[in-house]
Amino acid sequence: MDGSDLGLRNATYGLVAELGRVPTAAEAARATGLGLEEVRARWRSLHEAHALVLDESTGEILMANPFSGVPTRFRVYADGRSWHANCAWDAFGICAALGTDGRIETTCPDCDEPITVEVRDTHPDDETLLFHCLLPAAHWWENIVYT
Amino acid sequence: MNLFRSEEHVERWLAGRAPGATIPVVQLAELASAWWGDRLSPGWRAHTREQNQAILDAVGLTGAFWRLP
Repeated sequence: MDGSDLGLRNATYGLVAELGRVPTAAEAARATGLGLEEVRARWRSLHEAHALVLDESTGEILMANPFSGVPTRFRVYADGRSWHANCAWDAFGICAALGTDGRIETTCPDCDEPITVEVRDTHPDDETLLFHCLLPAAHWWENIVYT
Repeated sequence: MNLFRSEEHVERWLAGRAPGATIPVVQLAELASAWWGDRLSPGWRAHTREQNQAILDAVGLTGAFWRLP
């Protein structure tokens, strides 16, 4: 990851925050003045460095962690916008990355009942909830989508 | 990586699979703040493995399960 990769990475994340979703490669090219192929090549470099995750079939962003590029069961409302998160950890991570309070909406994977968490000053309002992480840390990046 | 209302929900969802680790949501929030808090910072740099391990250790997530490769 060189300095230009890092510049595009920061611009891409800025667009995620601004748009409430991940940008397409075309949108990132327009916003940065880079060519579409350069954006795709630099995103590939960032993917290899685990700085974001590309959809292998389209070359578009699947995850700009903690933000998700596709709809998920984890929705975060903050600062008048909303984003999908990749998992519960990332849902809290979106509030942390934005530096704002927020509301996380998800469902219990066991019973499908809604779970809503208000996050104030990084702290959840319902302290009784539990987080389960199925895979040990040693295996998180072997299949980050499954993780 | 999901949220659950109780241990009973976790166990029922696992349906006999080997469990991972269950932690309180407050600890998750602490972890998320330390892990992701700089993600939109203009000065962001990728965390090293050692930095990430230090974050896990600092919020009390120690032991083999939380050991990064």
